[in-house]
Amino acid sequence: MKRLIFALLVFSMLLAACAPKSDSATADFDLADWDSVLAAADGQTVTWYMWGGSDSINAYVDNFYGVALKERYNVTLNRVPVADAADYINQVLSEKEAGVENGAVDLMWINGENFFTLKQAEMLYADWAQAIPNSAFVDWGNPAINRDFGEPVEDLESPWSSAQFQFIYDSARMDADSLPRSYADLATWACEHPGRFTYIAPGPGAFQGTRFVKGALFEISGDAAQWGTVDEALWDEWSPKVWDYFNKFKTCLWREGETYPKDEYELHSLFANNEVDFSITQAIVGAGALIDEGLVPTTSRAFVFDNYMIGDFNYVAIPSNASNKAAALVLANLILDPEFQAAQVLPENGFGLGFGIDVTRVTDPDQVAVLEDALANLGEAATPAEDMAKSLVGDAASPYQSMVEEGWRENVLIGQ
Amino acid sequence: MKKLLIWIALLAPLLTLGLFALSKGWFYPEPFPAQLTPEAFSRLISDTRTLKAIIDSLLLAVLVSLLSLIIGYPAARAIGTQDFPAKKYVWLAIFLPTVVPPLAIGMGMSILALQTGLSGTPFGIILAHIVPTLPYTVFTLAGVFARYDENYEYQALALGASPTRIFFAITLHLLAPGLAVAGLFAFLISWSQYLLTLLVGGGRVLTLPVLLFSAVSGGNPTTISALSLLFLAPPVLIIAATARFLGENPNSVHERI
Amino acid sequence: MKLKRSLAPTLLILTLLLGASLLYGLMQSLGYLTIIGEKELSLTAYQNLISGQGTAGREFWASLGFSLWVSIVSTILSAIGALFLATLLNRRPSNFDTFALNWNLAFPHLVWGVFMLLLLAQSGLLARWAGALGIIQSPADFPVLVRDRYGIGIILTYLGKEIPFLTLLILALLRTQSDGYLLVAQNLGANAWQRFRLVTLPLVRPALVSGSLLVFAYIFGAYEVPALLGVRYPRTLPVLALESFTNPDLRARAEGMAISLIIAFIVLMIAGFARAKEELQG
Repeated sequence: MKRLIFALLVFSMLLAACAPKSDSATADFDLADWDSVLAAADGQTVTWYMWGGSDSINAYVDNFYGVALKERYNVTLNRVPVADAADYINQVLSEKEAGVENGAVDLMWINGENFFTLKQAEMLYADWAQAIPNSAFVDWGNPAINRDFGEPVEDLESPWSSAQFQFIYDSARMDADSLPRSYADLATWACEHPGRFTYIAPGPGAFQGTRFVKGALFEISGDAAQWGTVDEALWDEWSPKVWDYFNKFKTCLWREGETYPKDEYELHSLFANNEVDFSITQAIVGAGALIDEGLVPTTSRAFVFDNYMIGDFNYVAIPSNASNKAAALVLANLILDPEFQAAQVLPENGFGLGFGIDVTRVTDPDQVAVLEDALANLGEAATPAEDMAKSLVGDAASPYQSMVEEGWRENVLIGQ
Repeated sequence: MKKLLIWIALLAPLLTLGLFALSKGWFYPEPFPAQLTPEAFSRLISDTRTLKAIIDSLLLAVLVSLLSLIIGYPAARAIGTQDFPAKKYVWLAIFLPTVVPPLAIGMGMSILALQTGLSGTPFGIILAHIVPTLPYTVFTLAGVFARYDENYEYQALALGASPTRIFFAITLHLLAPGLAVAGLFAFLISWSQYLLTLLVGGGRVLTLPVLLFSAVSGGNPTTISALSLLFLAPPVLIIAATARFLGENPNSVHERI
Repeated sequence: MKLKRSLAPTLLILTLLLGASLLYGLMQSLGYLTIIGEKELSLTAYQNLISGQGTAGREFWASLGFSLWVSIVSTILSAIGALFLATLLNRRPSNFDTFALNWNLAFPHLVWGVFMLLLLAQSGLLARWAGALGIIQSPADFPVLVRDRYGIGIILTYLGKEIPFLTLLILALLRTQSDGYLLVAQNLGANAWQRFRLVTLPLVRPALVSGSLLVFAYIFGAYEVPALLGVRYPRTLPVLALESFTNPDLRARAEGMAISLIIAFIVLMIAGFARAKEELQG
């Protein structure tokens, strides 16, 4: 036994000894001088880790960013499709643990829960998001932008697109007038139509489900803004009422609430196959991109409640040990270009999330025209813009994320 | 009739996947897709990422099974034909990697690989895959060796044959089915390995299971089915091609000597 | 000396890679998380699990029970099925029979799980046909066979995969055997059951036991199939482990790692027990 442990130690040390002593790949450009960034990026390959489950999003990224990067900047895009953002967060964290300086990841598509983890672990390249040229189009004063799931962004990530919580229904199956327009309505509707409604199980990697429950918290407590800061007493007061709400109509749900769809796509499938009557989306084009991909019926339409539909931005970030930071910066900048911002909202291009920039900051008349044209062509499967605006609220402070997830799991899923 | 039923059962997975792969917007309760379109396949095949994943996965699985056979052969023979005091412990040491879940091995190994610079390299992935394949190779071969009659070799030796000649003319012939089964197991284990590839590859090594898992998270039955069929093609072809060999009845092995 | 040379490559590769990997895993389960600056070793993760506290700990016992249920049922049914099939084919498995058995070895578990899902879901292929034929009125009328509370879908998936695997393992052993014993038994007037019990079973039992242990170990530690075909609660231990491990909350990582090691420990106990029993019986 002793000999085995000794052998193990020697083996580990040997392996560690022959580990390549990586030399830092940074410091060959100056962020203040964008041309030096472009020069450094020339010929680099940028490895972009992103969730790869959607064919249409994958195609959009390759066909738009991939082509433009190559043609304009001689940068090659290596998009790495991953099943779950948590996987590449783990990769970055493991690299940090092992002290790897030339990391595998150059750019990551992340949302608030992962941002919080990476920030907490100090694994993010800093002080760049407001230094890239196109960040001039970003409204950094907007709290929905400078906070991600309530966590201060602090120049550690740059926005890509925006999203807002919406429902999808099938106009061939249901009349728009009969749609529930509040959480209270929804519970009534669900029990009048047993087994025809379910929602995504809240939890890590399924933030739409968490968001659905947060919306109920907002409506039941009667105010969204008060959840912008953490208040234990407030939580203790209202959370039991929220669990009551969900438990009361649990048996009216699909499979009587015995289980819930794991993610957005499982719910889309239940909806498309007539197992339930509603799905959930975050896209500005509503069901548009999903229809094009053949995931939901062509008669699908999006709608929102009258209030408490949470909206936010999603971001790209660069790990502090990225090997090709210059190329990552070029890509992060390209994403914010009004031309591509306009392209990303059009349903036929397959991405379908909203603008990451503040379009009023764009002054070039041609670009303004392109953006306006895009907005006018969101398609009939989108929620009307005024409904979206009327119901929009910001997210709760980030600690509520896990409080909602664990509370729901404990009190609703596992339950009494 | 019985044979027809078995054929239907055998082909059911392929037919089901094929039906979904060629569909688009096909929902309950339509019994069949309204239209069949190869769209998903043409999209996958025009993607260099998929093509590279196919080649990488194939190379990887072949290398891993060859290495497993070469490394495992002497150990399997020793275990199968000899009795020695520490046999129980040797058996246990080989058994261990098959019971420790890939997750437990993979996570620790991903950090090990990162520290040694093997993360995301072909060598690192091969090493990672050998951990689950090697025990299965040794198990299968040792089982065969346990029933193996070494006297044929001794007789040949007594007749003056060289060890190399004995190995190729006798041992290999006698063991061919066992070797084939062992190699096949190793190939299939490596081919379908997801967690270890993901963790040790750091996402930089994209094999088909990694792509497939990513597609599964997107829930599009058309893409998932098309990718599944591509993923299935090599093993299905191999099994179809070797079935005759695997199906030889035991006596003919003896008659050939 | 020759013995050592034969065993060395296999043993070195396996023990060193496994040992070093597990060492890192153990350190992590003890809370040695350098990323968030924690270098104190503690048993907190294990205490959380045993006492049913913490992010993952609260579900630990339910997951353990569910995992054992799924693995044991799948293993026992697979072994029975394989014995039955192997006995049926023992004497002269035709080329077609062997081909049929080998066939689904070509289907990785993940793909096999995808197939089961497409086929058996409440709005899957069979449900669509049933719906078109008017046998069911809506998907809800179709029985819940996958993503069900009792793991039926997971067990079905494993049966389809593991029965042929075990059958092949037994056949590979039988194939190198002459038919002598069976013929003798037959000449002495043994009936089919006696031939099975007195000749085939003793012959294949070692292979079947170790094969079943492999199957059990695989199922108990496998992530893909339960992740695809399981429900949100209860989850199997590996799903709980990986989801805790990749939880954005880094403290859950130690619990995830601890669960992995507990899985390994449980399987080792069962494997050790089964072997000891085997040896006692001679």
